[in-house]
Amino acid sequence: MTTTQIAPSPSVTAVPEIVAHDVRREGTGWISWLTTTDHKRIGIMYMVASWIFLIIGGVEALLIRLQLGQADNDFITPQSYNALFTMHGLTMVFLFLMPMIAGVGNYLIPLMIGARDMAFPRLNALSLWLFIAGGLVFYGSLLYSPPECGWTCYAPLSEATYSPTGGVDAFIFLVHLTGIASFLGAMNFFVTIANMRAPGMGWGRLPLFVWTMLTQAILLIISIPVVAAAVTLLLTDRHFGTHFYDPTNGGSPLLWQHLFWFFGHPEVYILVLPGFGIISEILPVFSRKPIFGYKAIAAATLGIAFIGSLVWAHHMFTTPLPYAVLVFFSLMTFLVAIPTGVKIFNWIATLWRGTIEFRVPMLFACGFLGTFLLGGVTGIFLATFPVDWQLQDTYFVVAHFHYTIIGGAVFPILGGLYYWFPKFSGRMLSERMGKWSFWIILVGFWTTFLVQHAAGLSGMPRRIYEYADVNHLQLYNEISTVGSFILAFGILLTVVNVLRSLKHGAVAGPDPWKANTLEWFTTSPPPANNFDTVPRVRSVEPMKDIRRQVERQSRELAAAGAPAGS
Amino acid sequence: MRVPVRSHRARRAAALGLLTTGAVLLPAADAFAGLFAPEGGGSPNANSIRELYLFIFGLGCIVFFGVGGLFLYTIRRYRARKGAVAAQIHGNTRLEIAWTLGAAALLVLIAVATFIKLPSIENPPNSGPGGLPLSAATGSWVPASSAQNLPPNGKSLQIDVNGQQYVWRYTYPDADKNNLNNVFSYQEMVVPTNTTVTLSIRSQDVAHSWWIPQLGGKFDAIPGYTNYTWFKISKPGLYKGQCAELCGRNHANMTAQVRAVTPAQFVAWYQRQKTNIATADKLAAAERTALTAAQAKLAAKANALNAAQNAGTTGAIKSAPAAASAAAGKALFVTGNPSTGALACGACHTLKAAGTAGQTGPNLDTGLAGKAPAFILTSIVNPGKDITKGYQNGIMPANYAKTLTKQQLASLVAYIVSVHGK
Repeated sequence: MTTTQIAPSPSVTAVPEIVAHDVRREGTGWISWLTTTDHKRIGIMYMVASWIFLIIGGVEALLIRLQLGQADNDFITPQSYNALFTMHGLTMVFLFLMPMIAGVGNYLIPLMIGARDMAFPRLNALSLWLFIAGGLVFYGSLLYSPPECGWTCYAPLSEATYSPTGGVDAFIFLVHLTGIASFLGAMNFFVTIANMRAPGMGWGRLPLFVWTMLTQAILLIISIPVVAAAVTLLLTDRHFGTHFYDPTNGGSPLLWQHLFWFFGHPEVYILVLPGFGIISEILPVFSRKPIFGYKAIAAATLGIAFIGSLVWAHHMFTTPLPYAVLVFFSLMTFLVAIPTGVKIFNWIATLWRGTIEFRVPMLFACGFLGTFLLGGVTGIFLATFPVDWQLQDTYFVVAHFHYTIIGGAVFPILGGLYYWFPKFSGRMLSERMGKWSFWIILVGFWTTFLVQHAAGLSGMPRRIYEYADVNHLQLYNEISTVGSFILAFGILLTVVNVLRSLKHGAVAGPDPWKANTLEWFTTSPPPANNFDTVPRVRSVEPMKDIRRQVERQSRELAAAGAPAGS
Repeated sequence: MRVPVRSHRARRAAALGLLTTGAVLLPAADAFAGLFAPEGGGSPNANSIRELYLFIFGLGCIVFFGVGGLFLYTIRRYRARKGAVAAQIHGNTRLEIAWTLGAAALLVLIAVATFIKLPSIENPPNSGPGGLPLSAATGSWVPASSAQNLPPNGKSLQIDVNGQQYVWRYTYPDADKNNLNNVFSYQEMVVPTNTTVTLSIRSQDVAHSWWIPQLGGKFDAIPGYTNYTWFKISKPGLYKGQCAELCGRNHANMTAQVRAVTPAQFVAWYQRQKTNIATADKLAAAERTALTAAQAKLAAKANALNAAQNAGTTGAIKSAPAAASAAAGKALFVTGNPSTGALACGACHTLKAAGTAGQTGPNLDTGLAGKAPAFILTSIVNPGKDITKGYQNGIMPANYAKTLTKQQLASLVAYIVSVHGK
């Protein structure tokens, strides 16, 4: 009897596993990095370059804060000051956040949807190198004269009459090169997500991060051509005798503002939507609960993108516009608060009745919620156009958009870094150092920017290199400057953490967090081909299903094996 | 064991934070007027914006502290504990609908409040009873453009604001269409209290933004466009602001201030400016008249001489005998007129009375003795007409009619005649 009984053989267990028999090892020399089309390596190069630009942009911010730390300071000349805030803004938007998101998306989207690479790997490499070229060309202007027109580069100040040096041309190159990079990257993401999902992964089982990246790709495809056209018109105005923005020859400075903000506002959502996606991945994992209202969050993402494309003139409430236009854009901006509010409620509901583990990614997710909440509330003030008349172009606005962008994009990116670093490198980041870094960043951020609301309300416009000490402006600015150095120290801790953990971090294993999505199905770091076998996806949390299946089958195995053993 | 320690620390930090906030808030609310809300107190539109802001601020606080409180409660209450099991909830459609409608209701509330407040922000009221009487009696002020919002009675003090790198210029237009004759000022705008002031805001170079926080919101000065706003100040005083749109390197130094004075003081200031302009105009006019007169005199003389030349040289000499002077003639004979290139006669001609001994041309002591003035003049201006024997035609310059004025020629002739008359 016992002889005829067939013991369950390992091959019968239908648990999908990585069996990497025959994968060619990737080269390790620097040429293999320069020539790679592997989405993971491209993603890592995107992220590393973005971190370098974050540090450069951060140093620029600290110089700005040093200058403003005291009333009537003369530490920096007006020319250098204008160049600094222009480069700070452009660096953070075009050379840190956009490529950072592209890098995270590059690394994770194929893994999350169970694909072996992006749809167009060589186009993907082209995007990376165009972005790098954009950064180099832009910072090349340091050798002659960096732009001084602010990241918005309003005409006619940016016209050759008022900005005769090549700085504005460096800005145009930057927008074109990084714009083409983002545009191609967005098409690549769109095609990859639309066509290369694992079997069973319908639109209703797409990870929420991938939903936000898909939406972001659509926004990029809509808005990048518009800003490309805007800067091309500026280029021909400056060098080829056209007058698109020149009022003395029938052109219109408002045309620039409309074109720029038609890109510029969706850009805000281009930066924060992927952040929302990262949060939607982190919260369920660390509260050990499914995301609350998956469909509502995905729908809110699309809703934000749609309405967010129709609010651009709220940046222009103080320009000569008819009241009907002001009212329309004001109400549309109110509308965009609804899907955003829905998301916040869904995230809190995800935490509700969970078992919350405060690991570093979760801390950053919580920091995001509190910080972005205030950024959202101050957004309502700015959306109300008569109130905006007082707040526009003041430090209130500066505070608001740092709350939304640092709160909405940088906190999630840092959380994502702590969350996915084990996947990128195979090693865990130091939890202790990460917690220190989080608290220092949180305190530093709120110290820097909360008080800037008060500075703005007390009459301080943005982009001024000096100010008189009236209405306690010096006090507010001193607090802000101190905060900025605390914030920088917190960021530095994470940089040190990353560099140390690359060699000394604890070995992570494929799924250190017991997470929900497919990237945790493969080894850390994943092999060149990502997956040998791609599991069939049955829910929005495929890894949870797989773990359950493994448990069930090992129980069955144990149950079946027990009598045999006894 | 580390968990309670950390929460203890967090509580202490929170208490410290509250204390610090309290310490900042405690000082007189007036001193920190701009801590929580935009400034007001100068003009009714600024006050209305402030009230609207405070309404949204109230709702914003409810939302921020409500949602934030719920969030903090949730992460404290549901932190992982031994034996706790997470509830596997996937969603709740009714709840989703509820908070969507809740958020929408809040926004409707804000929109309604905005439309209630909007008229008092965008529509200027009539000037107060103590304001500048803007009637035909004082009426050197032109009515404002119909493109902008005007007080119900249509009367306001109109001021044109012009932004330029890096200063504001204010023009007070009046019946004089030439705005160079209008009263104007830079950086400081002087206005009467209790009077509705309407502004047309323009720029002549790059974009600027007009902003005096206590007098209402900001309005961009965009080249090629005109923007409008208004204010009405009840308290005399100085209201400061500055350009709010990046306009170049010295954007930070493009300040503006509005000095509100009583209507009487304003009229005095305005009249003083007008008088200054009128005085300057008068002085300039006087100077202009003097210059014109001098010019006319010279022109008349030139005309007379021209006429004389046209009529014939003799006539010219006869008609201007007083102008001819033998002494001047002698000087011309000896030195010529170097500034026009007229060579001295004595360089080539001998004339004992002048002390010259030139040999190039005929001896004038003999050659011109007893000749008529007309012959002498012809010999000077047209030497080829009568050549003395032994001399070639063309040796003597034929351009004396050009290099010497008619008066100088007359003097020269008079001198030679006088020599031979002795």
